[in-house]
Amino acid sequence: MAHGDHLDEMTCLLYAERQLDRARAQAVSAHTENCAECRTLLRALDRESRLLTRAMLEEDEPLPSRIAEFQERARKSFGWIWGVVFGLAATGVYALYTIVVEPAQLRLEQAGFGGTSLLSLLVFQGAFWKGWQSVITLLEVLAMLTVAGFGVAVFRRRLRRGSALALVLAGLCAAMALPTTAGAMEFHKTQGTYELLKDETVKNDLLVTCSRARIDGTVEGDLYLFAQSADISGHIKGDVILFVQSARVTGQVDGNIRAATNNLTITGTVARNVLSLNEVLNLDSAGKVDGSLTSTGESVGIDGKVGRDLMVFGDHTTISGAVGGGVRVKGNNLSIVSTAEVAGPIHYEGENPATVSSGAKLASPVEYTKRVPKSEYTQGHYYLWRVIWTAAFVLLGMVLILLLPKFAEEAVRAGERVGAPLGLGLLVVPAVPIACLIACITVVGIPLGVLTFGLWFLGLFTAEIVVGAVVGNWILGRAADTWGLIGRMAMGFVLVRIAYTPLEHVHVIGFLVGLGILMWGMGAMSLAVYNRLQPKVAMVGAVQPA
Amino acid sequence: MSVPGSTETTEAVARARAGDAESWGQIYREMGPAIFRFCRRALPTREDAEDATMEIFSKLWEGKLSQYDETRSFSAWLYRVAANHCWDILRRRKIRQDKETDDVENVPLEHPDPSQLDRMIEQKTSEEVRHALQKLGARARMALVLRYYSDMSYDEIADALGVRRAFVGVVLLRARHELRQALEGKSALAAGGTS
Repeated sequence: MAHGDHLDEMTCLLYAERQLDRARAQAVSAHTENCAECRTLLRALDRESRLLTRAMLEEDEPLPSRIAEFQERARKSFGWIWGVVFGLAATGVYALYTIVVEPAQLRLEQAGFGGTSLLSLLVFQGAFWKGWQSVITLLEVLAMLTVAGFGVAVFRRRLRRGSALALVLAGLCAAMALPTTAGAMEFHKTQGTYELLKDETVKNDLLVTCSRARIDGTVEGDLYLFAQSADISGHIKGDVILFVQSARVTGQVDGNIRAATNNLTITGTVARNVLSLNEVLNLDSAGKVDGSLTSTGESVGIDGKVGRDLMVFGDHTTISGAVGGGVRVKGNNLSIVSTAEVAGPIHYEGENPATVSSGAKLASPVEYTKRVPKSEYTQGHYYLWRVIWTAAFVLLGMVLILLLPKFAEEAVRAGERVGAPLGLGLLVVPAVPIACLIACITVVGIPLGVLTFGLWFLGLFTAEIVVGAVVGNWILGRAADTWGLIGRMAMGFVLVRIAYTPLEHVHVIGFLVGLGILMWGMGAMSLAVYNRLQPKVAMVGAVQPA
Repeated sequence: MSVPGSTETTEAVARARAGDAESWGQIYREMGPAIFRFCRRALPTREDAEDATMEIFSKLWEGKLSQYDETRSFSAWLYRVAANHCWDILRRRKIRQDKETDDVENVPLEHPDPSQLDRMIEQKTSEEVRHALQKLGARARMALVLRYYSDMSYDEIADALGVRRAFVGVVLLRARHELRQALEGKSALAAGGTS
């Protein structure tokens, strides 16, 4: 340690920089008390240190413009990415709106659906989930989530995540609730027969779940029926919503009829419009619909009068009554018998030409378009739509991951286990809607049932996104941050889509693969929720009260 | 003496990691100039320092930020990233010489004349020191920058330079000797870049 009678410079430096152990530091301290030369050396080293620090910290030259501009460039670059993402989404949404939504909306309005609230759309048209209807609902869900995510991103800096989430949920609830017609509802639930007698009047809306319903009296609001069979011979001043196996309407309905049934027969009068998903629909010769009639089903018979347009998507359509507006039919067969009267144009698209009786009174000849079965793969727009939908789902995934980064990470991590989420998915996919239905039937549980069903419904859309993220993680390794997860999700989702598309139309395999993806994703999310609900015993034990 | 970039940036870092561009900008505004000056002291030319600064922040943006342990000082971690980056640049250019590592253990421990050293230090200005720093070998300069600009501990310096902790003092002392020689107008002992 000593250099002659003095400390060496290394020792002095380590002492000055407090790097010596206690004993050596004490020895140096004791030596310097009596040695002026070593004290001078220590002072010189200390001054040298301070000179070095000062020289390095001094801002002797201005910051280069490249450095100053770098942040701005980075910000602009970030904006460019967002611009592309939202531009892509906007293009997809615009294309969907102009090609699908707008025409569909027009037809819906013609069918009397102009003022339908989101709640009734989700709840009461849920059973109508097929064909082009699904596009509207999916678009609404996507658009709603995108807008909600954008809103949260805007307010995120001012709100905590929990508050933002609460705001979004409150907004969704408000969106669901606001357009709903004000007024009380009367509930009746029975295992057997429900009967509203002829001289009885229900002042409010009426909701009935039963085995058999007979409505001979008057309902001043809307009538909602869940039953095996129903006979409506009374006077319904509002709309009639039917989820009934076999229904017969012989009375008067001042509003619309919207029905999901096996058999629907109308022999009474409907002041507005009818929309029906059914196997068999009969507008009896005594039946009259003042508005338009829209139906999908195997067999549709129009013997009575339709005041406005008739629109049918069905196998066999027979018109023997009167139609005040135009007729648009898509199906396999159209028969127009001699007693028929049609005031507007008739458009028919089908595999077989229409059979038109010579006695039929038509404003114009049937405009027939032969439908040639064609593989979707040969059509260019099929691939365009696949790209648009993929972009829309990636955007949805991005929004959800940004909204719930922790949960997304947990769900993807749970998905990596494959076996457990698949097993849980097998349980959750069929069981949750049944549980929701049971909750709704108990009436008191309707809010819980609807909310759970909504989450389950959302889960159906996001399952493939979760699987995509898992695949992305497998390929690129587990993501270290949110944007890494988003990138992996996008890549994985595209790969899953590419792999799944050729299988989609191979009936059994396509169905099984699709179901597998659905269950895997749903199971992963359910597992993440389950893990979150588990009490954290270790943490509780470790934290002592202050 | 204040250490550049020591301001608490933990919240901004957390937000930036979640993808918040504004927080990213805040981190850059706060730490960008300090990291540039670090690179300016550690690398031979101003252009190198500019390139290195942008590369370091690009790395952070592209995912490096996710490796930051929030329980520790962000500025210390960032200096460590910058040191590694600059050290890599020097190594790629063969400026960092393996020979220097071998010399570490054999450095002569001279005992300078304390009064003469004290006078010399007193006479020198910051500008002269900065000028002299540019004449030092890469590792000598890097060691001084890590210790007296970034305020790194001996452990952190050992880790950054890839030497044993016990020799950090020797590296620093040798760097001081080089600096003194440069200040006195003598040629630097080790090879190094010039600005």
